Amino acid sequence: MTDRTLRLATAALAIAGASVAGYLVWVRETGATIVCATGGCGTVQSSEYAEVAGVPVALLGLVGYLVLFSTALFADDAARLVQAGVALGAVIFSTYLLYVQVALIGEVCDWCLVSDAIVTLTAMLALLRLRVAQAPPASSIRPADSA
Amino acid sequence: MSASGSRRRLAVALVGALVLGGSLIGASRLGAEEGAASPSEPLPSILDGIPQSGTALGSPTAPVTLVEYADLQCPYCAEWTHRTFPALVDQYVRQGKLRIVFRGLAFLGPDSDRALRTAVAAGRENRLWNVVEGLYHRQGHENSGWVTEALLDEVAGPRAVAARNAPWVVAELAGSSRAARAAGIAGTPAFQIGKTGGRLQTVPLNSLGPEGIQPAIEATLAS
Repeated sequence: MTDRTLRLATAALAIAGASVAGYLVWVRETGATIVCATGGCGTVQSSEYAEVAGVPVALLGLVGYLVLFSTALFADDAARLVQAGVALGAVIFSTYLLYVQVALIGEVCDWCLVSDAIVTLTAMLALLRLRVAQAPPASSIRPADSA
Repeated sequence: MSASGSRRRLAVALVGALVLGGSLIGASRLGAEEGAASPSEPLPSILDGIPQSGTALGSPTAPVTLVEYADLQCPYCAEWTHRTFPALVDQYVRQGKLRIVFRGLAFLGPDSDRALRTAVAAGRENRLWNVVEGLYHRQGHENSGWVTEALLDEVAGPRAVAARNAPWVVAELAGSSRAARAAGIAGTPAFQIGKTGGRLQTVPLNSLGPEGIQPAIEATLAS
């Protein structure tokens, strides 16, 4: 898999994640009724865990996805490192939030689960990008190298 | 890129991830602990300033009493509460003309029972109507398990949650069921109306909007 393919997949996932986070920000700001199959979204979104230092978690997620999208635009090492750091950090925080939903609130938010899946896939792509960066480009391998 | 260089990059990314994730978790825990230590002010409610006593809302000297039979899981009851209840509170209850008594029923399932017991228990703290309003606002799918301990704690408070199996709560629930049977209530929401202390009559409800109940209130006030 090439770095370009991984960047395209990352960009697509980041857009999907930003859409989910953007919807949750919109619901929070407008007070609209949240679409929710489990019925737990409202409870989770209005809990004390829905904010970090006064900033809505959904807004943090939106910013995070935009950062991940930005890292997909660049092919350099810095972009790969930032993507890996942000995506893995997001996986750690998402795992904590999943624990909070199940163990402390007793309700699960569908949208959070979708975001968890997206961020996990993005982190896997980020790790693959680090591996792809390690491999020398095919054009640089000469017959003599492999002999 | 060498293998050691790759490991170094992975290590840098992991350290960054741990710092980011750890900071967010720490800030979240801190915020939650502060929230628990100093509960926020309750949101302004349409019930603010209106006297409550057990299952009754409004002045005990109000000339008319409306009895509401409802299941806290019933979506039509929630709709009535959203569409009509605020108007009744503004136009009649707050003016001292109407008193509303809640007769909770729990025929839809276990979530109804848990919610109702807790709401009735909150009645001893004269907060039943706040809990009823809060639960309707957060109503989930029927028997989906939406009436969680966390929700009840948040809406009703730990004292009401702890008291929900008390004998007086059970007695109140049984009293509501008896009253509903005696009135021939077959579904919810259902209403009875009458002069306070007088005989109650069932209100035929043609609409869940204010127009469905206002004529009966006006007629009883005028009688």
